[in-house]
Amino acid sequence: MAKRSLINKIFNAGPVILLYYLCISEVDSNLEKIFEIFTLNFQIILIYFWVLKRPDIMANGHIFLAGLINDVVMGFPLGISSLSYLIIIFVGTYVRNKSVNTTIASDWFTFFMAMIFSNILFFSLLNNFSDLYFTYSKIGYNMFFTLFMFPIFWLLFNIYQITFIGGRDA
Amino acid sequence: MSVSRDDFSIAFRSALLQRGGAQKFSVLSLIFLALIIFFLDVYGAKFTKPVRSFLNDVVYRLTFLASTPSRFLPQVSTDISNFFNVKEENERLKAEIEKYKLLELNVEFLTDENKNLQKILETEYFNKNLSNIILAKVLVDKNSPFLKSIIINKGTRAGILKGMPVTKDNYLVGRIVETNYLSSRVLLLNDLNSRIPVTLDEGAQAILSGSGTNNPILEYLPEDYEIIEEINVFASGKDGIFSSGTPIGVTNSEGQVDLFVDPNQLSFVTVNLNIQSKGKF
Repeated sequence: MAKRSLINKIFNAGPVILLYYLCISEVDSNLEKIFEIFTLNFQIILIYFWVLKRPDIMANGHIFLAGLINDVVMGFPLGISSLSYLIIIFVGTYVRNKSVNTTIASDWFTFFMAMIFSNILFFSLLNNFSDLYFTYSKIGYNMFFTLFMFPIFWLLFNIYQITFIGGRDA
Repeated sequence: MSVSRDDFSIAFRSALLQRGGAQKFSVLSLIFLALIIFFLDVYGAKFTKPVRSFLNDVVYRLTFLASTPSRFLPQVSTDISNFFNVKEENERLKAEIEKYKLLELNVEFLTDENKNLQKILETEYFNKNLSNIILAKVLVDKNSPFLKSIIINKGTRAGILKGMPVTKDNYLVGRIVETNYLSSRVLLLNDLNSRIPVTLDEGAQAILSGSGTNNPILEYLPEDYEIIEEINVFASGKDGIFSSGTPIGVTNSEGQVDLFVDPNQLSFVTVNLNIQSKGKF
């Protein structure tokens, strides 16, 4: 029984561990080396899905800390990724509070809104308060591919949730 | 209408202030905290610099450790294939040694000739004293769509300062843009923020600008200048950061520059401690 509970805890911690690992490791969530314009913000897909479906396993504090780590590794001003992730949490929690049944289509649309708000804040802060220069085409590609890949990860995370974690959907 | 507005405000407030269960902190409190950290970091309050530097050193080391499995697996397959090719490699290396022995004499002659010519021209001669060139290991090479940089395992303790040029096999790779006690960040030549004055084969001057892709582009070329393939690109040294004549790359058919060193394949680099720019990064 105790062993089973430990395994459940590990499965429940899976998304948070993946988030930390993506932020701290060299593993890229974008495949620029293979296909030059393909960049993907996998972290925000991960956060949005789990905040929407199971906020109890994706605590705000962990997301905040992961954002800080991401800033250090990427060389961004500290706190900027945390802010963008917190906007994702905010929209996700709002949608969760307002909706009873969600479908992949509704989640996709609300994710688009969350990503727009989050990226506007992220790039406007980066543009106004740092010396970093970036092109709008890069941002556009990044947003397009992140949005495009969302349903695929939605399905994968759903399978993970059903198989290893269990119900309690929104 | 008022019911719908109430619903909106309740859901909005709840999303911002909700706590309890796994959520120890509300979103609003964390947003405030993130904003405070952000502005402290951006406006560089005196005490945040050493804190940030310490944090960078710790996180870079952790990143290096966390990335070990992803580096280890490809390395194992390379090692196994190398093991089976030892004999073949040995013969190839022997042939290469012979070739380099012949070339060494030639290089020695050219170096002397170069020194003499520089003395005649009275140009600044950068004495490449090996004690002032340090070897550094690449700790983190995380590919970001917005910032092309690497982290190396040498920092201010080893004498590294902002602006110092970074090379690999004498080919220019980038320059130091952030220093910590035990680590530094190198801005690569293909980053959007990178601008380097360069000289082309025929003596034309230009600026090599990072494009965010693997191939930087040449800007501010002389009027009516047409870029053709296979033109060598060197650092001009006009900025006082990079030694003049440091090879960078060669032009391709699209008018971009193919770098001599692939920025995605760096494991060890060298930092020239002789030169430091006073520019802002």
